[in-house]
Amino acid sequence: MQVVLYTIFLAALTWLVVTVQNRRRLVVMTLAAVMAVTLVGAPQPVQAQMGIVGAIQAVLNVINGVIHTALTAINSVRTAVNNLQQLVVWPQQLINQARAQVTQMIGKYRNLMSTIFKINLNSATLAGPRALEAIIRDHQVGNFPALTAMFTNNYGAVPVATSASAGDRAMSDMDDALTLDNLKTLKAADQATDIELQSADAIETSSSQAAPGSASFLTATAITSAIHAQALTQKLLAAELRQEAARLAHRNTLRKENATNTTHLRGVLVNLLQHQ
Amino acid sequence: MKTLRVLVKTIASWMSSHKPRTAVLALVLMFTAPWPAKAQIISPCCALLFAGLSSIQSTLIKVVGGGLNQILGVDKAMQQFQQAVVWPQNLVNQARGLVGVLQGNFNRIQTLMKIPVNSATLPVSQQLEQVLLSRNPNQIGQTSGAYTALYGPVPQATAASPQVLNMVDMTDAAAQAAMKRAIEIDALADLELQAANQLNQSIQAAAPGSAPIIEAQADAWLIRANAYTQSATADLMRLRSIDLANASADIKMGATNTTNLRQALANLLQHQ
Repeated sequence: MQVVLYTIFLAALTWLVVTVQNRRRLVVMTLAAVMAVTLVGAPQPVQAQMGIVGAIQAVLNVINGVIHTALTAINSVRTAVNNLQQLVVWPQQLINQARAQVTQMIGKYRNLMSTIFKINLNSATLAGPRALEAIIRDHQVGNFPALTAMFTNNYGAVPVATSASAGDRAMSDMDDALTLDNLKTLKAADQATDIELQSADAIETSSSQAAPGSASFLTATAITSAIHAQALTQKLLAAELRQEAARLAHRNTLRKENATNTTHLRGVLVNLLQHQ
Repeated sequence: MKTLRVLVKTIASWMSSHKPRTAVLALVLMFTAPWPAKAQIISPCCALLFAGLSSIQSTLIKVVGGGLNQILGVDKAMQQFQQAVVWPQNLVNQARGLVGVLQGNFNRIQTLMKIPVNSATLPVSQQLEQVLLSRNPNQIGQTSGAYTALYGPVPQATAASPQVLNMVDMTDAAAQAAMKRAIEIDALADLELQAANQLNQSIQAAAPGSAPIIEAQADAWLIRANAYTQSATADLMRLRSIDLANASADIKMGATNTTNLRQALANLLQHQ
């Protein structure tokens, strides 16, 4: 718009300059034209200023509105999560309380149970049984030959070949062998039990100082200890199975021998009656 | 084109004959032409812009910066709490150290369970004992042979009554099955010990967040181990049930035999 006005005024001025008659009029007309063109060409910034103010206000509105609201909401959520963790999930007071309980229970039970468990159960009165009883309860695995010797000392050796049938000797040897196997296994198991108890004590002591994040390690290793304990129990059960099976087999062999002997006796009696 | 040329010529001749007027026009054109305006520091526009940007800056500092600082404060508190209370590195390392110590205990137990306990002295009993203590499931097949070699076979049909033969056979079967189960259980227990060691080694290398996964697997192994223990206990109970049944059968057969003997004696007295 301003350019159009400027062009019109310039064309009019040119026409006047060309057609003016004297110099005086030329000067007057020139001054007037310059003033008019200056007025026409003056900048009009009012509208532009109003646009900047509006834009700034809009940005301020966004900051004070949407962004402020969002930041406040995020802060509220983070604060809530923080409170949840500190007051509900992992409250320091209850963590300390749990640790204190572990310590208290260690003090209350550990020594008491250990003392009960270590009460001397030996009851034999004669020298031979006392020695055997001591060795089968000593939790040691390095004295198996002495165990065998003391067992033989108390229960006797397998009869020599001239004293019993081969079957009886073999069965007696098997009975003794399984008894000794189990007594040796029990000595090893006793020692393993001692180690298990040490492990349990160590886990419990550590749990009295554990943090929620480190407790999972203790739990996991406690479970693997429990697997070991189960395996050990299974070993003992297997030994008991062997022992019970051998006992049953022994009785069954006697039953077989009885049957054979009865048949033999019947034959002898029939022969005897026939001869009379 | 010709008209344009004539016009230019006319203007040129006019300009040459009216030099003052041409100069006036040129000056007016030069001074009144709309030149681009230079920036003015203290113009109302710039001042407004400056004030607006200042306002935006202070608002950003106050609203956005303040809000972010609050969030940062909360996050720092959470981080500090988690590092100091929930997952303290020193306690995590301490727990890992304990797992390593327990690994030593496990190895000792495993060594104890492998100590040979064989004690038989005669060839026949040595053979059966070797099979029974082998912890090798592949040797289960040899159990019956070694058992029969030691405890004898079931008597022939003419050697005993059918009841006795059945009882003998059932008892042998229960005893042999128990012995076979013992070999099985020994082998399973060895595998459980191996698995427990592997799990424990994994725990030593685990992170606090991955340890519960290993813990879950260890729990599954524990359930499995319990099942095997129950199975062994069941076999033990079966064995004792057969033993009890044998004792009962002995009483029953004793009663029958007594009756038969009484009858035989009565017959004998009648014939005399």
